[in-house]
Amino acid sequence: MKPLSLNEPEKIILAMGNEAIVRGGLEAGIGYFSTYPGTPASEIGQGFIDLGDEFSYIHTEFSINELVATHGAMGASWANVRSMTAMKQVGMNVAAEAFHFSGYTGVGAGFVIVIGSDPGATSSTTEQDDRWYSLHTHLPVLEPATIQEAKDFTVKAFGLSEKYNIPVILNTPSKLCHNIGSLRLEKIPEIVSVDGNFKRNPVRYINLFGGAVKNHKNLLESIKVLQRDVQSLGFNRVIPGTDKIGFISSSINYLYLMEALSMLGLRESPVLKIGISYPINEEEILSFIKDLEKVYIVEDLEGFLEFQIKHLLYNSNLRVPIVGKSIFPEYGELDVDLISSILRDEFKIPPSERLKRILQLTGKLTKDIPPRQGAFCTGCPHRATLYSIVKATGRKAIFGGDIGCYTLACLPPFKSFDWVTCMNCGAGIGQGMFHANVTEDILAYVGDSTFFHSGIPNLINAIEQDVSLVLVILDNKWVSMTGHQPSPTTKTTLNGEKLKPVDLKGLLKSIGVSYVRTIKPFNIKSSIVTIKDALRERNGVRVIISEQECALQNEKRIIERHDGLEVYYQIDPERCQKCDECYVELGCPSIRKMTYDNTFDYYIEETTCLRCGSCHDICPNSAIGRVEIKRMGPRLETS
Amino acid sequence: MIRYDILICGIGGQGVISLGTSLKLAAIEDGLTVVGAEKRGGAQREGVVVSNVRYLGLEEGECFDDRNMAVSGLIPNASVDMMIAMEPLEALRHAAYLHEDSIVIINNFPLIPVAVRIGEYEDLDRDEIFSRVREFSKNVHIYNINEIAIGNFKSLRQVNTISLGLAFSLGNMPISEKSLIKTLKDQFSEFEINKLAFELGVRIAGKY
Repeated sequence: MKPLSLNEPEKIILAMGNEAIVRGGLEAGIGYFSTYPGTPASEIGQGFIDLGDEFSYIHTEFSINELVATHGAMGASWANVRSMTAMKQVGMNVAAEAFHFSGYTGVGAGFVIVIGSDPGATSSTTEQDDRWYSLHTHLPVLEPATIQEAKDFTVKAFGLSEKYNIPVILNTPSKLCHNIGSLRLEKIPEIVSVDGNFKRNPVRYINLFGGAVKNHKNLLESIKVLQRDVQSLGFNRVIPGTDKIGFISSSINYLYLMEALSMLGLRESPVLKIGISYPINEEEILSFIKDLEKVYIVEDLEGFLEFQIKHLLYNSNLRVPIVGKSIFPEYGELDVDLISSILRDEFKIPPSERLKRILQLTGKLTKDIPPRQGAFCTGCPHRATLYSIVKATGRKAIFGGDIGCYTLACLPPFKSFDWVTCMNCGAGIGQGMFHANVTEDILAYVGDSTFFHSGIPNLINAIEQDVSLVLVILDNKWVSMTGHQPSPTTKTTLNGEKLKPVDLKGLLKSIGVSYVRTIKPFNIKSSIVTIKDALRERNGVRVIISEQECALQNEKRIIERHDGLEVYYQIDPERCQKCDECYVELGCPSIRKMTYDNTFDYYIEETTCLRCGSCHDICPNSAIGRVEIKRMGPRLETS
Repeated sequence: MIRYDILICGIGGQGVISLGTSLKLAAIEDGLTVVGAEKRGGAQREGVVVSNVRYLGLEEGECFDDRNMAVSGLIPNASVDMMIAMEPLEALRHAAYLHEDSIVIINNFPLIPVAVRIGEYEDLDRDEIFSRVREFSKNVHIYNINEIAIGNFKSLRQVNTISLGLAFSLGNMPISEKSLIKTLKDQFSEFEINKLAFELGVRIAGKY
């Protein structure tokens, strides 16, 4: 039995923040979970999938996009089944229409929305703070600070959702999603099956003929009730202190702040820890602030709490100086070191001798460290596709990038990505450029999962508007970047289960794409020819499907199937001219450099090479040999 | 208060996170509280990976206190008790977390960054890296753990468990050998070989 599913109250296990949220869902007795995978929230879906056998009453799905996931969870909730959906912060943009309605309609059973936020944008193209949405959706926002709170708040969120008849948001930043530590368990209710029961409620569910106005009023009234109750709900608390300068913080910044205050010797500062950051309660905030001389608000990004608290103070006529975004940056991610250094400046506290020494050394000795930029994994089909595109175009095209592993094409050695903003921006922005009469060819990228997420309307539009561009669909059969969730083109799961993949070519044909070619990316020479042909065609939408399963998934499959054939690639140092075609232009991490006294050789690191054969295909000097060793054993089954 | 902070750094695919998991599971076994965030943007993709492992616990007679027990997922600058660097450059990259008494273990097996490979940056000489790290801390221990693993087990899969043995032996960690071994048993299917690798690490550190 997995630790996450143990039904032993008080037991302490090791869990990731995201897993704690999964556990919260189990303890709350959910019957429905949907998600579109997005880092940092992607492990939540994986958690439910992994527990699928033990909790077969929970419907879990990787939906096609966040709007579909949200609608599904709303449906389950209206059918009186506790439901949950999870997405990364930008997912809320995709599902925003549903979220704006969900306050009008209210819920059936509890409905909780988990948002993985990403201050610092470590895995996103934006830092967007979704808390601000709640100023117009009015959905309550909970902000856990610890792994334990991630679980406990999730459980409580369902009660809150049912009591106030509104979906509740759990906002967890990446540093909490990916924090791994102690988690104390509570009981999981015994549920055998989930039986939905939809009670029709046209007044709430049909927002026509002025119904929207009434429901808007209902929503504002229930938020007022919640606002009044906030203090008694147990999400916020005060850490007392005798100083006259106080602090307000929420989420993981609370812990950074507490550590910073201890380090700076400010152990008597009163701190208000906010666990529910929308709505906030006037009485609670004012009673904390009223006897203080100054209050600092420590939070990430544009300052959602500061905005609300200042608004509240204006209405109450209380004039206490509030310091927030005037000293803490509105961009990037806060941490203990940044908060300490800002507060040290603010309170004129010198750094400790130990810290001073280390900061001086860091300034002197770490400035010339070469960065580690991302690179495609060894054996990645995208590397081969990108290599072919670079060779076929000579980089003389406009390259529309998109969201997925292939974003790494923006980095060296390929550098053939002219923009990347959001899902399906490649062909979307590309078609505007076509109508603006750019002279270069337009080549856009999209991955299989990204294409199905929101790329189909995009492509239909391009057909309707008679756009000329080449769209390369990098079909690697999985949502790889977020940890290998299945995509609509996944044929077989790792344990051999056959799925029903979407007929991609049939779909393209039915929406009117007449030019479709498929390449096998590791056949680099023929891929280059196919891409050149597509570019030469010049007119109309031309789609090239680069079809090859993600190397990491394929490798797991081969390991599990005990294949009987082993292929190795070797560089013959006698023939190698050190032309750098494989080491630099292809840039495979498994091709390494062995330096001797005054010279060097390239070699293939056998333990990491996945034997894709790209280097063999491109070597202009035929210096990379392919060796096949046949082993006695089961026949090789390829996917 | 029991407080002990370990920072593990390396690059994607080196098992940084699973090494952190071993150290965390052992602490839970020993009744400590543990936290620690990961930085893993570049997992599997040549990027930097960091695992923060932070132990905290109460001594006899102490009781819970909001200020002492507030420990975030990230270790502050100049405060790690132990650093395990799976790659030399990564030890230097994260040197701001060290102080002069930090114990540093470096796997002397450099992996050249892509930026160097394509000529955008110059590589740093290995001895230069080590001498710089030694300016930060006076307890720097350097081993070619890859070579030790290949030499003893003909495989790189034991690199992490050897590192665990080294770390356990060199650092005065508040966790027990018994719990660490139990963790290996729970975590890995090949328990016997991992136990041998752990013990090898402990032995090598003793000889140092």
